[in-house]
Amino acid sequence: MLAIMLLVGIFLAIRASDALSVAGWSFFTEQAWEPDTGRFGIVAIIVGTILIALVAIIVAVPLASACALYITQFAPQRIRGTLISLVDLMAAIPSIVFGLWGFFWLQGEVVPVAKWISQNLGFIPIFAVRGADPNDPLAPTTVFTSSTFIAGLVVAMMVTPIITSIMREVFDQAPIGEREGALALGATRWSMITSVILPFGRAGMIGGSMLGLGRALGETIAVYIIISPVFEIQPRILENGAISVSSLIALRYGEATQFGMSALMAAGLSLFLMTLAVNFAASFIVARSRSGASS
Amino acid sequence: MKRWKASLVLTLVAAAVLAVGSSPVVASTPDDTRATSTSSSSTSYVPISGAGSSWSANAIDQWRRNVQQFGMRVNYASTGSSDGRNQFRTGTVDFASSEIPYGLSDSGVVDTPPSRKFAYMPIVAGGTSLMYNLTVGSQRITNLRLSGETVARIFTGDITSWDDAAIKADNPGITLPARRIVPVVRSDGSGTTAQLTAWMASEHPRIWDAYCARAGRPTPCGQTSNFPVISGTGFVGQPGSQGVSGYVAQRANVGTITYVEYSYAIKTGYPVAKLLNKAGYYVEPTASNVAVSLLGARINNDPSSQAYLTQILTGVYRNADPRTYPLSSYSYLIVPTAVEGNFTTAKGSTLGAFAYYFLCEGQRQAETLGYSPLPINLVKAGLEQVRKIPGVQAQSIDIRSCKNPTFSSDGTNTLAKNAPMPPECDRRGSTVQCSDGTGGAAEQPTQPGPGASDGGATDGSGTGTDTGVDGLPVDGGGIGGDGGATGGGPAICEIDTGACQTVAAIPVEIERVDAGWTRESTYMALALIAVLLTALAPPALARWVRATRSGS
Repeated sequence: MLAIMLLVGIFLAIRASDALSVAGWSFFTEQAWEPDTGRFGIVAIIVGTILIALVAIIVAVPLASACALYITQFAPQRIRGTLISLVDLMAAIPSIVFGLWGFFWLQGEVVPVAKWISQNLGFIPIFAVRGADPNDPLAPTTVFTSSTFIAGLVVAMMVTPIITSIMREVFDQAPIGEREGALALGATRWSMITSVILPFGRAGMIGGSMLGLGRALGETIAVYIIISPVFEIQPRILENGAISVSSLIALRYGEATQFGMSALMAAGLSLFLMTLAVNFAASFIVARSRSGASS
Repeated sequence: MKRWKASLVLTLVAAAVLAVGSSPVVASTPDDTRATSTSSSSTSYVPISGAGSSWSANAIDQWRRNVQQFGMRVNYASTGSSDGRNQFRTGTVDFASSEIPYGLSDSGVVDTPPSRKFAYMPIVAGGTSLMYNLTVGSQRITNLRLSGETVARIFTGDITSWDDAAIKADNPGITLPARRIVPVVRSDGSGTTAQLTAWMASEHPRIWDAYCARAGRPTPCGQTSNFPVISGTGFVGQPGSQGVSGYVAQRANVGTITYVEYSYAIKTGYPVAKLLNKAGYYVEPTASNVAVSLLGARINNDPSSQAYLTQILTGVYRNADPRTYPLSSYSYLIVPTAVEGNFTTAKGSTLGAFAYYFLCEGQRQAETLGYSPLPINLVKAGLEQVRKIPGVQAQSIDIRSCKNPTFSSDGTNTLAKNAPMPPECDRRGSTVQCSDGTGGAAEQPTQPGPGASDGGATDGSGTGTDTGVDGLPVDGGGIGGDGGATGGGPAICEIDTGACQTVAAIPVEIERVDAGWTRESTYMALALIAVLLTALAPPALARWVRATRSGS
């Protein structure tokens, strides 16, 4: 396993060295992406990637936790199997299907929500939208489309089943003795969950979320279909214009020159390193947290 | 378990029935004249694969479905011309499709020709149309007209509102809303972008170079396959023709305009703008208009040249025929002419048969798909090019049997010769504006807007065509203007000049933003409280229960 990862890393580093040596340190400060004219950098793209992944995780983790708790603790035995296979089925839906669904259906439905948020919470910088004027009835709603927010929502739909199934496994492993003990001592089902299940499963929850985050960072085709790429740090998540490393690679690899390909490899390398860092952080958190009963 | 198995079997049976049921449909696709060109239907073909232009993808997709009945499997990925040329260069595909040839300079980088041997083959003609989504009140506008300069200024972010004076001047018959214009451009490397930017660089270089300079590109900018987007200007980038047309065709995206092949507008059911030509007419890219326009294209006729058969379109942009659509062009297939890499003579046999099909019979479908058939000289040249493909089973085709609508006995282009002249209402300066729909929205005419000066709409008494009647000099639309008052909405006339103006408003919806506490606000507050309750109540309740129990 480790050897394969090492090989991937070395391959990316070798292919990227060409571009990195030309760009130098400006690779980490430049926002534009025009490798053939020598102006290219990773900073805007990495920020965009993280924003999309964060939106996805913020939506997916509560949803997945609720799903997993319901399936393991509340659902009647009869429908449990069905629910589990439903969640697993959702994990098997190809990402292009999610992308098309997001582009053709979800986008139209989410725009009013994004509009409402920006009108009422627009004073918070990340929810501000340039070019949206609530007093102008003819203002285009397109400023709310193809945004980080919508891409994040679609990615959330894709990572939810993965996080759910990990959490479900963990919650299922909570020791039956402690659970029944809590109930025998007169705890309600909810207080049993908060006092036994959740502390026991904390490491698993974090691990599952981190795994979801890893997938969200690397999600390609759904993001590629939805976003309208911009090459600058764009922190306004509801506004048209977003970017991520993997969608950039999907967008540009076909038409890249040899040098452009090297620049894309450099972008891929930084995504690879970032995902590694996230996973190490996850295992560190998991190792430090209590229980240790699962990981 | 048993029941589950039974349902699985049922599903499988259903799938099989569906598959069987659908295959005859594939076989009986519109064009079922069997094998004038593909006489060798008994030979077995190996599958071939290609990639490239999404501009011509609708035609290629139809053709490759049609040749399935002959046992040919042609895979095609419409990933953009730049990608197609790149994949052909690296040898991952057997053929590529592109609007522009190799060797052009794009932002200072030259797109180098591949080392493998290749030739260009024209496949179909068409118009790069300006598809848009615009409504006034609840009515869709389907008869928009734009001049070349206006288009250039829209796609360089200079004109930002639909009620700009320049657009109004082009459209005297439409009441335009004060909406932002949202230009939708290709985010991938695209031949369509190259066609549009080549036209802008040639016809409106000042506007185009100024924009390029602002986007940080070196000037003079010339043509480029990657549209430069300046952040914060409200431009939207989408990948592929499917992406841009799909974006514009979303009902909510009112105010968007994009550049895409005419067939996509027809497929999505949206209108295209009529573009002003040198003769002063606003023209739609119909098959016959495109055929007329391309009479002005200069084709490289030197068979020894690497760029044999490629196009120079300046003559099309400036064609003085009133039926010209200035953004017309040909699309090309790039085919290998030597056995190299993955390409074999067996593949050459399939590719050759496929080429014979689309150069001959395939052209008949061009018009219904939203393209324009190739003229006779290019079909002849293309058929010669087919012979260069290694492994091809050369056929001598009698091109009269192709029933290409452009062919004639005397060598002229029938389609162009019989193309109808544009109606008077499409002439610049005419007081009436045609109300018929365009593109995919041809069935929906736009009613003259309430504020429009639809003078001649009453009986056309004063329009320019009548000047010769009875030898009486009638000056232009002067008289027709009087009829304007009858066209919808109340009118106010000034007594001293007699000039009338209709007064009417466009209905709009507005959300009350600063309306204080409304019923919606109450619902939102209630919903918020409900969410908080469901989240906080159970643990609080549990704690309270625990506390009371332990207390007792």
